[in-house]
Amino acid sequence: MPNLELIQALSGHKGIVWNVSWHPQGKIFASCGEDKTIKLWSKEGQEWTIKTVLVDGHQRTIREVAWSPCGNYLASASFDATTAIWDKKSGQFECNATLEGHENEVKSVAWSPSGQLLATCGRDKSVWVWEVAGEDEYECESVLNAHNQDVKKVAWHPSLDILASASYDNSVKLYKEDPADNDWSCIATLQSHESTVWSLTFDKTGERLATCSDDRTVKIWKEYKPDNQEGVIVTDRESVWKCVCTLSGFHTRCIYDIAWCHHTGFLATASGDDIIRIFKESEDSDPNSPTFDLVCTKLNAHSQDVNSVRWNPTGNKELLSCSDDGEIKIWSFSSD
Amino acid sequence: MASRFSGALQLTDLDDFITPSQECIKPVKIEKTKTKTGAKIKIGEDGYFDVSSGREQKLQKVEITLADCLACSGCITSAESVLVTKQSQEELLRVFSERKYTDNKGVSKDVSLIVISLSPQPTLSLAARYKLTPEEATHKLAGYFKSLGADLVLDMTIAEDLSLLEAQQEFLQRYQNQLADPSSKNMPMLASSCPGWVCYAEKTHGNFILPYISSSKSPQQVMGSLVKQYLSRSRELTPGEIYHVTVMPCYDKKLEASREDFYSEMLSCHDVDCVITAIELEQMLDVSSKSLNDITGAELDWPWGALGEAPPALRRHIGTGSGGYADHVFLYAAEQLFGESNAQLVYRNLRNPDFREVTLEKDGKEVLRFAVANGFRNIQNLVQKLKRGKSPYHYVEVMACPSGCLNGGAQVRPVTGESGRELVAQLEAMYSALPLAVPAESKLVRKLYAEWLDGKDSDKARAMLHTTYHAVEKSDIALNIKW
Repeated sequence: MPNLELIQALSGHKGIVWNVSWHPQGKIFASCGEDKTIKLWSKEGQEWTIKTVLVDGHQRTIREVAWSPCGNYLASASFDATTAIWDKKSGQFECNATLEGHENEVKSVAWSPSGQLLATCGRDKSVWVWEVAGEDEYECESVLNAHNQDVKKVAWHPSLDILASASYDNSVKLYKEDPADNDWSCIATLQSHESTVWSLTFDKTGERLATCSDDRTVKIWKEYKPDNQEGVIVTDRESVWKCVCTLSGFHTRCIYDIAWCHHTGFLATASGDDIIRIFKESEDSDPNSPTFDLVCTKLNAHSQDVNSVRWNPTGNKELLSCSDDGEIKIWSFSSD
Repeated sequence: MASRFSGALQLTDLDDFITPSQECIKPVKIEKTKTKTGAKIKIGEDGYFDVSSGREQKLQKVEITLADCLACSGCITSAESVLVTKQSQEELLRVFSERKYTDNKGVSKDVSLIVISLSPQPTLSLAARYKLTPEEATHKLAGYFKSLGADLVLDMTIAEDLSLLEAQQEFLQRYQNQLADPSSKNMPMLASSCPGWVCYAEKTHGNFILPYISSSKSPQQVMGSLVKQYLSRSRELTPGEIYHVTVMPCYDKKLEASREDFYSEMLSCHDVDCVITAIELEQMLDVSSKSLNDITGAELDWPWGALGEAPPALRRHIGTGSGGYADHVFLYAAEQLFGESNAQLVYRNLRNPDFREVTLEKDGKEVLRFAVANGFRNIQNLVQKLKRGKSPYHYVEVMACPSGCLNGGAQVRPVTGESGRELVAQLEAMYSALPLAVPAESKLVRKLYAEWLDGKDSDKARAMLHTTYHAVEKSDIALNIKW
């Protein structure tokens, strides 16, 4: 029987823990929350403990943290309208750059696979693309006003500079850079969810995207490139993304987060019903109409809303979760 | 509906949960009459009625004007719906047919003279749309407005000339002031002709950025002063009798025209009453099933006295299609400050083609560094440079739209199959082929400084050709609280 086994429950934050982020090597992770602090955790023997607490970087709730692909930088997005970039060039973690420009709450931050670009989004309905312009220097590459409501999450394609965003306007949008003027533009709008899209995650190929929503469904979207075998009509030489699968009837409340493991293919969801669920694609799944099975339901994973789930990037099936209940939990998933 | 304002304006305070009309936080002054007890109000089908006096008295609806919206730190989107009523093509057509308009105070006024001022960018946009030469499009537009009932159709070259000349003078003054007091906020001087940029700066960066923004009025507002203050006198009219319409490349210009700063309490009128854009003109023609091609042309008017120079026409200035501010200020400063009468303007692109720099070297040392920053992303990078004390510039021509005013938000959209970039390139080519205007050589400029403005640098010139900016304080009332 597939099972999600609790390795350790971690407390340390005061109040809601909004987000957790694994260091790319999978031996450290960062957490953030309502208490305006970032905590860095690592293992001492068998126990996960707080190694560092980063304070004074933000004046309000920290909504998301993200490690750069090289593992040397940590970005934090805050309701104080700024995004801070932390590094430990001096020996200990310090905030050495602050990205300002959002009008109010920054809700999400993500590094591109190359680490040369950063994306942020927020309540001002905009998505910003920033470029690393030198030592502690970041320049704004683009401000995208494609959504007409609060933007909840940004995520990058695993290998290309393609950005996706999820919004309170029920849609998901994809963007890429136009080399002619180095500006970014929206290349696809994914519409099917009936309420706020809270989060999104690409699979390891980047040709599929999973989204989760307040409408209590998970949707799987597939990219159809120009001249695709299936004969899906593509205009302007830009790929078309179609919703090929909707997982409904599983979640009883809003789904706040979703994570697609790039090693195992498991999909984990974090829900307002306090449950963590894990889905697995069926053996005989048709690529144009895939099927997913719910293989694990962890009831009462937390005592309140589960805000975030993250697979360990090494593929060891460790899963991190955090919650309104103030706790972070580390789980080990056994699939058989 | 997507907002039609520039990106810079779309970003300001909005709430995910409250619709703009609910979010309006503007306190409204209510005229109260004294009663011993509280008022009794009855809600009827057609309004609210005060019944405390024994008989029903209809209560006035509270109305929020665009001026209220602009002075407020709340939303910007509701300003759009307010604009629609005040500055729409419907309103324009109504004024044409009734020759009456309602001013800010709700007073109905008779119109004796309808003046249309054409700026180059929307005229070129319509020329491209209807496959006309710029000259043909100018004449057809003049003919179209005349057929609707306009009395005068003018080009804005004179206003552009004055705006550029004032900016040049202001730069010299600021440069000297900065030398005298290196800690002052005179440099860099930032262009002020883009209302999207100005409004964003006022709402978001307030007193930090405003001292840098040039006080010289934009061509639209210089034209406003000229028409309402100078032309009215020569026609022996009160300014309120003139209805002044400008034709512009962006919606943000409507906000500019509606600013309190450009409303005279004394004359109780705005300098510009209505702003109409290229895209709205296209719609007006479409609605009446007309093409600009079919319109009988008319010549532009010249109400400024003896001609003396070339006939009135749409003209370009050297430099960008946004008005050429950086080029004009650069060349003038090079000559006046460093004796370089033949300075070369060689721009180099920075991170993207919308952020360009030009420098002047003297004896191997860099003495001037100017930039052109278009589009919201480059505004961000400029503002951040300023905030960190890392701006190397003396002057920056800032425009909120990528590629500047030729790509204004209310220019006619590209036809299917045509990219936005191709269209902008076409408009740039058309702009550069227009006859050149040289502000310093204009006889009309000299005449106006002498006859109207009491000379250069006079109090009157400052009053007519300069303006001020106001930081909008963010208010902390219940509906605005963010957690």
